[in-house]
Amino acid sequence: MIERKKECISMLLAGGQGSRLYVLTQDTAKPAVPFGGKYRIIDFSLSNCVNSGIDTVGILTQYQPLELNDYIGNGVPWDLNRNFGGAHVLPPYTKTSNNQWYKGTANAIYQNIPFIERYNPEYVLILSGDHIYKMDYNKMLQFHKEKGSECTIAVITVSNEDATRMGIMSTDANQAITEFEEKPAHPKSNQASMGVYIFTWEVLKQYLIADEADPNSENDFGKNVIPAFLRDGRKMFAYPFEGYWKDVGTLGSLWDANMDLLDPKDPLDMRNPHFKVYARNYASPSSMLAPGSKVTNSFVAEGCEIYGTVENSVLYTGCVVEAGATITGAVVMPNTVVKSGSSVNYAIIGEQCVIESGATIGDRPEHCLNTDWGITVVGHKRTIPSGAVIKPKEII
Amino acid sequence: MKMTGIIFSEMYNDELNAFTHDRNMAAIPFGGRYRLIDFTLSNMVNSGITNVGVLAKQHYHSLMDHLSNTQEWDLNRKNGGLLLLPPFATESFNQIHRGKLDELRNALDYLQDATTPYVLLASAHTLCNMDYRPALESHINSGCDITVVATKEEAASETPFTFVLMADESGQATACALDYPASAGSYAATGTYIISRELLIHVIQEYTAQGAYDLERDFIQRKFNQGKLSINVYQCTDVVLRIRNVAEYFAANMSLTDLKVRRSLFRPDSPIYTKVNDEVPTYYGMDCTVSGCIIADGCIIEGNAENCVLSRGVRIAKGAVVKDCIIMQGSVVGEGAVLENVIVDKWATISAGTELKGLASAPVIIRKGVTV
Repeated sequence: MIERKKECISMLLAGGQGSRLYVLTQDTAKPAVPFGGKYRIIDFSLSNCVNSGIDTVGILTQYQPLELNDYIGNGVPWDLNRNFGGAHVLPPYTKTSNNQWYKGTANAIYQNIPFIERYNPEYVLILSGDHIYKMDYNKMLQFHKEKGSECTIAVITVSNEDATRMGIMSTDANQAITEFEEKPAHPKSNQASMGVYIFTWEVLKQYLIADEADPNSENDFGKNVIPAFLRDGRKMFAYPFEGYWKDVGTLGSLWDANMDLLDPKDPLDMRNPHFKVYARNYASPSSMLAPGSKVTNSFVAEGCEIYGTVENSVLYTGCVVEAGATITGAVVMPNTVVKSGSSVNYAIIGEQCVIESGATIGDRPEHCLNTDWGITVVGHKRTIPSGAVIKPKEII
Repeated sequence: MKMTGIIFSEMYNDELNAFTHDRNMAAIPFGGRYRLIDFTLSNMVNSGITNVGVLAKQHYHSLMDHLSNTQEWDLNRKNGGLLLLPPFATESFNQIHRGKLDELRNALDYLQDATTPYVLLASAHTLCNMDYRPALESHINSGCDITVVATKEEAASETPFTFVLMADESGQATACALDYPASAGSYAATGTYIISRELLIHVIQEYTAQGAYDLERDFIQRKFNQGKLSINVYQCTDVVLRIRNVAEYFAANMSLTDLKVRRSLFRPDSPIYTKVNDEVPTYYGMDCTVSGCIIADGCIIEGNAENCVLSRGVRIAKGAVVKDCIIMQGSVVGEGAVLENVIVDKWATISAGTELKGLASAPVIIRKGVTV
């Protein structure tokens, strides 16, 4: 029998808790956190797959999957509703023996070997749904094939300071990986792993089985599988990526990445009509900027109603800013209402919040001592009472 | 659901030919992100109608493109769903449709294959957000042959309505007139009718065989005047925007900043669906001033806009002043250009420094793709 097959399928690790996003991931997985006005973090990886010609994506969920399941649905918004392939949400499931949660990133893939084998792929692309970037994975796949690689890791050049917090690759002149260090105190290179891997499936499968059999393994790609490949002298290459890439794993970096959208140079290339970022659409009407409103240097999604002042901010779908309210340097997530006379400064406000009139959230850095200032964060579905004052750096 | 939906994508004797020379009425852009047909189509879906036939007369490519992904309206169904019914020329009938009855001849097979007892006929160019289910209930309870959905006119109007009715307290029509101004307390039809499928099929067969083509004139009014048709008038209390000419189209767009209109037309419990374009959110520049505007996704606004409707992907360059304008998808207004009472169709370019001024009653219209 001739079996249908896919050259390359993608496995997207979306089960992480994202605990450093605190209140924003209290009831939802990190990849489902809203981003950039109308997106969720996972939209970037999913859209990259589709724009790279990869039409089969297994989405591994574990932590608070409800919102993510609902969001992915049948994959239509990303064109991932396919007869053969498409988007598949893959939570851990019970088996006749050895029932378990996903113990680590490698174990999550191991547990889904039967899913991968259904597509009989040559290559498997492993992604995490935690990053904001646009990347053509097909170019990386070509690189993988040209180098005769068995494991290709996408790398991005980072500063020495950032290198101490990331997985760092040392390579030879041919981009072959000679050394890999997780969070080194004294980094030997500036090439950091982006958490994007392409493996030749036959080889990876062997290593996943061996890794699972090792009782001392943490079943993690970075800690166990990649070092095992390196130890055995497997063909490993670093694929240099140039372009915007941001881990939005912390509240600060999430705020920064939103603010990067206001850069007129458009570092993320958001407006490229041939490489769009797709998202589920909620049929909101066009936004209304009422007489008397003032909106400058801001990103505003559809469905908003603005009567007040918005500057240097990102407003997500369906927000309302009443007359006399002021929003500065803020990220305001979907369907939040900011009532009259309140002010929101340098803050992230979660979905469906109500900021009652006269409340003050956060402050401008120039009004504070250096050490007192930071981003203020309000979790999803909170109501901030009238006249309340929420200080900089507070997380509620 | 007991109704099959039929949408007329054209109106006849329309005065919107500035926009309809390469698209039909139903596909005219509206309100930043919509096409006219989105409202009627979404109403049907939100009322539980899952069989919708869309009648088209000519140059319906734009409409086909818009409706091609029926998924957006949840009309990708195994049973029913959306079906475009373009003209079907036969030996005996090969002319361009002159009226709704002509068009309905095209839907005859479709209606004969349908299984619902009733049919809802609606026009694409009357915009409102209404639930058709209470109208059906009213139709059934009235025992009348046909139900006309209409707005009650509190004041007498100077301009004529397409179809005006008087009704008694029970809602039964007592008089009707075509192209007639409304008097206070009369009802202005919205082009939305409920009729039994059986009667409709009979009417199409009988009347078109006699050369009749106008639904209102040749069937409803004539038969009513002969005392052979009972009409139930169902009052629609939602905001209704009628679009029959450029001035009405312009005014309807401009009314979207009126909260009464916005709240009635766009309701979270009955959304208006449209084709999704995956544009990025709109960017407002450092020095822009925007006031009283309706703005879709994907725009870059660096200049000044006042009382405008801006569609997806519009660019207003620095120093440009755009006042009381409708700018459709992808059009660019260059640096320092000054526009007032202008409707710019899709993908047009207004060069830097250009000045264009029209009147609210007669806006300047820039055609699709033109560079000024």
